[in-house]
Amino acid sequence: MITVGGKQIPNIIYREKDIPNIREFDVYVKNGGYEGLKKALGMTRATVIQEVKDSNLRGRGGAGFPAGVKWSFIPQNNAVNYVTVNADESETGTFKDRQIMENNPHQLIEGALICAYAVKAKAVYIYLRGEFWDVAHELDKHIEAGRKAGLYGANGTLKDAEGNPFTVEVYTHLGAGAYICGEESALLNSLEGKLGQPRVRPPFPAQKGGGLYGEPTVVNNVETLANVPWIITNGAAAYKGIGVGNSTGTKIFCLSGHVKRPANYELPFGVTFRELLYEYGGGPLDGRTFKAILPSGGSGPIIRVTDELLDTPLTYEDLQKHNSILGSASVIVMDDTTDIVWVASKVIKFFKHESCGKCTPCREGTYWLDKVLDRILRGEGRANDVDLIANVAANMKPTTLCALGEFAANPVIWTIKNFPEEFKAWVEGDRKGPQLAPMALPSPAAD
Amino acid sequence: MTKTVTITIDDKPYEVPAGSNLVDVAKFHADNDIPVFCYHPKMAPVGMCRMCLVEMGSIEKDRATGEVLLDEAGKPKVRWMPKLQTACTQLVADGMVIRTATPEVKVARENVVEFLLTSHPLDCPICDKGGECPLQNLTMEHGKGGSRMAYEDKQHLEKHVPLGTPDSALVYLDEERCIQCARCVRFQDEVVGDDVLAFHERGRRLQIITNSAPHGFDTYFSGNTTDICPVGALTTADFRFGARPWELTEIPSIDPFDAAGSNISLSTRLDRDFGGRAMIKRVMPRQNEEVNEIWISDKVRFGHHFTRSDQRLQKAMVRTGGKLSETTWAEALKVAAEKIKAAGNKVAAIAGSGMSNEDLFALKQLVNAAGGKHLGAWPITHTGAELLAQVGLSKGSNLGALGKGDAVLIIASDLEEEVPMWRLRLKRAHDRGALVVVANARKTRMDDFADAAPRYEAGKAAHWLHDLKKNHADLAQKLAGAQNLVIVTGAEGLTLDGHRALMQAAANFLIESHHVGKANNGLLSTLPGANGMGLHYFGFSPEQTLLIAKSAPKVLIVAQAELLADDPTAEAWLSKVETVISLNLFPDALTQRYAQVALPIQSFAERDGTFTNGERRVQRFYTAQGPMGEALPAWQAIGRLTEAAGLGKAKLSAAAVMLEISQTVPAFSGMTYKAISKVEKQFPDVGGNDQYYGGTAYQNKGGLGLVIPTVADKGEKVAIAMPELPQAPKPSAGEFVVIPATRLYNNESVFKPSLLVQPRVMAPYAEINSADAKKLGIEQGAVVEIKAGGTTVRVKAHVNGGAPEGSIVLPRHLTAEAVPVAITTGTVSKV
Amino acid sequence: MNTLQQKYAERIQTTLAKYPDKRSAVMPMLYIAQEEYGHVNPEGIQQVAEICDMDPTQVKSIAGFYTMYSEKPKGEYWLQVCVDLPCALRGADEFHHWLLHELDIEEGGTTADGVFTVEHVMCLAACDKAPMLQCNFHFEENLDKDKMRAKLKAWRDQALAAKRGKK
Ligand SMILES: Cc1cc2nc3c(=O)[nH]c(=O)nc-3n(C[C@H](O)[C@H](O)[C@H](O)COP(=O)(O)O)c2cc1C
Ligand code: SF4
Ligand code: FES
Repeated sequence: MITVGGKQIPNIIYREKDIPNIREFDVYVKNGGYEGLKKALGMTRATVIQEVKDSNLRGRGGAGFPAGVKWSFIPQNNAVNYVTVNADESETGTFKDRQIMENNPHQLIEGALICAYAVKAKAVYIYLRGEFWDVAHELDKHIEAGRKAGLYGANGTLKDAEGNPFTVEVYTHLGAGAYICGEESALLNSLEGKLGQPRVRPPFPAQKGGGLYGEPTVVNNVETLANVPWIITNGAAAYKGIGVGNSTGTKIFCLSGHVKRPANYELPFGVTFRELLYEYGGGPLDGRTFKAILPSGGSGPIIRVTDELLDTPLTYEDLQKHNSILGSASVIVMDDTTDIVWVASKVIKFFKHESCGKCTPCREGTYWLDKVLDRILRGEGRANDVDLIANVAANMKPTTLCALGEFAANPVIWTIKNFPEEFKAWVEGDRKGPQLAPMALPSPAAD
Repeated sequence: MTKTVTITIDDKPYEVPAGSNLVDVAKFHADNDIPVFCYHPKMAPVGMCRMCLVEMGSIEKDRATGEVLLDEAGKPKVRWMPKLQTACTQLVADGMVIRTATPEVKVARENVVEFLLTSHPLDCPICDKGGECPLQNLTMEHGKGGSRMAYEDKQHLEKHVPLGTPDSALVYLDEERCIQCARCVRFQDEVVGDDVLAFHERGRRLQIITNSAPHGFDTYFSGNTTDICPVGALTTADFRFGARPWELTEIPSIDPFDAAGSNISLSTRLDRDFGGRAMIKRVMPRQNEEVNEIWISDKVRFGHHFTRSDQRLQKAMVRTGGKLSETTWAEALKVAAEKIKAAGNKVAAIAGSGMSNEDLFALKQLVNAAGGKHLGAWPITHTGAELLAQVGLSKGSNLGALGKGDAVLIIASDLEEEVPMWRLRLKRAHDRGALVVVANARKTRMDDFADAAPRYEAGKAAHWLHDLKKNHADLAQKLAGAQNLVIVTGAEGLTLDGHRALMQAAANFLIESHHVGKANNGLLSTLPGANGMGLHYFGFSPEQTLLIAKSAPKVLIVAQAELLADDPTAEAWLSKVETVISLNLFPDALTQRYAQVALPIQSFAERDGTFTNGERRVQRFYTAQGPMGEALPAWQAIGRLTEAAGLGKAKLSAAAVMLEISQTVPAFSGMTYKAISKVEKQFPDVGGNDQYYGGTAYQNKGGLGLVIPTVADKGEKVAIAMPELPQAPKPSAGEFVVIPATRLYNNESVFKPSLLVQPRVMAPYAEINSADAKKLGIEQGAVVEIKAGGTTVRVKAHVNGGAPEGSIVLPRHLTAEAVPVAITTGTVSKV
Repeated sequence: MNTLQQKYAERIQTTLAKYPDKRSAVMPMLYIAQEEYGHVNPEGIQQVAEICDMDPTQVKSIAGFYTMYSEKPKGEYWLQVCVDLPCALRGADEFHHWLLHELDIEEGGTTADGVFTVEHVMCLAACDKAPMLQCNFHFEENLDKDKMRAKLKAWRDQALAAKRGKK
């Protein structure tokens, strides 16, 4: 149970907090596991999709797109559809899906299967980032347990509403170190054994020609799908009772950086930064004060911590008011010891390293931004360097092929916008000289 | 006929074909060059370079009534997309509105150019592409005129990287110049189907790589990547640092090697290395959408060196006292003429398929004037050209138009090795949905692009096709029921009788299923050489060659036909000919051992002429290069000989010969040089002076050629004899069936001097089935001796199951000795 | 001779069975090749190409795109230290530098005895457990210098014991 503001709310996702060992198939089943799937199989596909639509479950991978609506795009009359689970989890500061897969894997499997039923998919592929090597191998065992029990797979014994045996297969697929493979079309390419570079849209993954092997495909985040069994079991109305406004249900906040208790916190939408940072995160490290927050990992705009900000409820809508995004809710907190120019450089190094190279502005822009930020951090910044990188970043935004290029522009644009004095200090004088030497590392691979 | 839609470009409405690409449409219908780097009209768009960004929207309509909504000013309301869109990835749709000249678009273009130049070395002064470089052109047109990226901040990468092994690389990469547009990668994958190029690494470190074994960049089409590379990143080993593009003169020409008749352009320059005379510096494709589109094979691109080989026959020669020695043309012609005069009507000729139409006409006139009857064609692997004249691929056809609903049957051919351009274009037909069936006794490369690859017993191609309905009703039905059907026959694994039977079976199949006499239907054959069809139209046939062999004439004129190199049995009857007059580019074995008179003739590059390609398209080639030694065009040499023998008058120009042909040979009626030199605007428009696909100019300025209609095209009824199915050769105990096969890269005299490609010519080998090899104890790579059809060769065994059990596949023109002309039987033993 | 096909027959079969297209198996196959040869070498690429029915160029391309495949030999223990922003805020850069110093190598280098390679990498999804690293793809979290020293010793002992065993 989660207690917020005196109210008790169930752990929808991190049920291991209430039920130890729920990762084990038997324990999961004993505690109502796979009842959602069975219930869904008794419903028509359309009703399942409607229920998810009604719950207003929004994608947890970053964009917040309503899951039920996405599912409804899949043509039901197509012979072969697919579901792919986005377990790439590579955004800087995101570490929530790993915990789901490690501690409550069956709920993800169940959610993905409900989705597979709803969109008439033939198979589910769970695409995990390569570094989740151990996670994937454990997950394979959990998948096998449910398969052996006859819940799904070639020998599945359940029947769907039309009386057909439910035989959807679930497979894991390991990536091998590429953030871009979290972008859905790059993920599909990677799964097809091609370079993990994004595809041109349309066609979209849900359309013929756009999905896995050219077939209509749902791509959903791990956390998104892990919500689904609860929604089917308890109904859309109960789900909507949690959260606020258009942000319904709980959300996992990945809290990291300069707080006492960095961790994943499952909380209803609408908790405030103050609650998250102080009540759960334990407040700033001793003797320090909060300075800045990246609420959506490296890709969202950075915000300056103010009293007013701390009282902002964490919803998709409210963060927009602060010119930022909730995204995947990877809340990276920085205190007053942090150099913001160094932050910009760190994040750019990430994007430069992860740029797939397919489109010109992102490939060249990240390289350029990194070069100039390095120069500034060496104390060799030129008078117009700040304008230069602000301009280069601004030029990337409208021209890149996929959102990575836009993400990559954000750290530069918003650090300059929200912390201009720090850049000024580096370029104009008082911070000249390589004070941050141990931190300002060479980029990970040779250029 | 085609559906159209209305779109708005920069406030003007245009009616354009539905479903076409926006960049193409803007260019064609609005004369608006949306700049592109990665887009290429021959490949699927990928939206990578971001150069083609435009503002895009659609006209709003009332959902209920479908009526166009108007704004206050009474103009249609447009719903604009929030971000700029890449034009190259858009198909036009009704109500589409784009703007290409707004400040946003201008800035975006400037920015993309600036980003591209972030890493570019700007070494135009020493770059082969300088002067015909899209990056250069688009930078001038759309760039800001300076980069804010300091030079020392750029990354510095490898120059002059051979794509492939250093000793055999045909294409070089300058890593710094590459703008990662993936055109080259996509060309190899999509167009060719040899996906031997790829990107390595990612982000700014992306680099082009190729495979390594055995030579790297293993494909017959690599050179095309250097044409479509929009920068100077890819250059050919042939042209690298060879000349500056603006010094070159483009001479239209025709691929001299095979039946496709690809249109090429010979880039020439007056060159010190060639005595200050015009010399070919490179060979480029010349657009002819119905023939080779904008592609050529590496054989023609890199195989032109024979035209300047110092091995060429450069002076007339006469044999005295058993020894050939150089002499004057006058003397040689006198000797030859006397022999002809003395022979009465016992004069015959054998002409090779490299002779032009003009040459063949002149030769025919000479023999006929002397009263001779036999005009033999060479080589004698293929026959049935008369069937091609009757039911060949119809006038108005375009292999590039075959697609869904259509079918292609390729039988008894290793198409990639025999006519690579057809293989490329039929691969594309397959991509577009055409049913492609590749029938052969063994696996060939084309199987990779086929829906079905049925096998028959070696030697029984005609039997298989003849009995198709009976034995494979389903397949027969699919072929017969196709909207359009093209059958391509080769002669692999067949005797001449076998090939005739196959041609008949194919012709009958086409006639019965009503696939003749209409565009995109009919018969093709992989006739060797550039002018196999010309041989037919001027009366030369392999059957007559056999008659000549049977009863030796007194005088035999052998023109560009290397009998001894091609046929181990030729020696036996040649010795019975009293006088051999040889016209050739090279002093081949026949010339050296049998010619009484040897006359040096010019290659296709040194003179004017026409070839008739396998689709019966008569196409012109022009003089590009200064002549070698005293060589003359064959038609002229023959004309002078005719005159010297008192049998007629020599013509003064190739055009005059063609004029007479057009007046006297019905098939060529109306085919004057003027008529076949006509050009029309083609789609896509490549190589213009615009900024569109810019770069390398391969616009067609030399003529699209004219197709000789088939009998069926003229609406006449055709009836073709049912084939007499010949016996397939039966090996006796301990023997094998020996199947001679064709390799594109080989040691024929017209290809051997291509030093760049030489390392890629395979060492002599034969394919042996692994089961057979096991029985005989032959290991991979072991040297074996093959005795068959009057020849003995030693070759390396390739034990890979490529040959059907009980047979040996033996490539021609790799060994020094001739291998059998046609399928036969023989023995194999370990050496 | 396809060593991988022979040695890992069962794993390869189950993997291929997952996908309608062999090409999809290229990434799992590259892991197998890396396991067999210690890094993705040309032999491995050639064999994977055969298994997945691809041109070797395409396989090499995939190996080059993803950072978890190495085309160069690595130490027996491949340590990948996360120094991305969240970890760096909790001292990962210092930890990384210390580790390099402790092993006396440069970033990306391998110890003279061939036991350790140290590289720094981007976010590994363990931001709340910094400093952390992956050792041969297994997570090692909440590290400090003492813990790390002990681990290094244990790994080195194991590596040397294994080497001795081989001899
Ligand atoms: C560069 C980039 C990286 C992304 N990485 C992830 C990721 O690691 N995990 C994820 O679930 N979604 C990621 N996304 C979002 C996906 O493209 C996609 O929107 C999401 O998987 C959809 O699932 P959802 O609707 O359940 O959120 C990424 C998007 C971009 C542009
Ligand atoms: S080599 Fe040329 S064609 Fe190939 S990706 Fe680079 S720029 Fe494009
Ligand atoms: S993105 Fe359209 S031409 Fe490159």
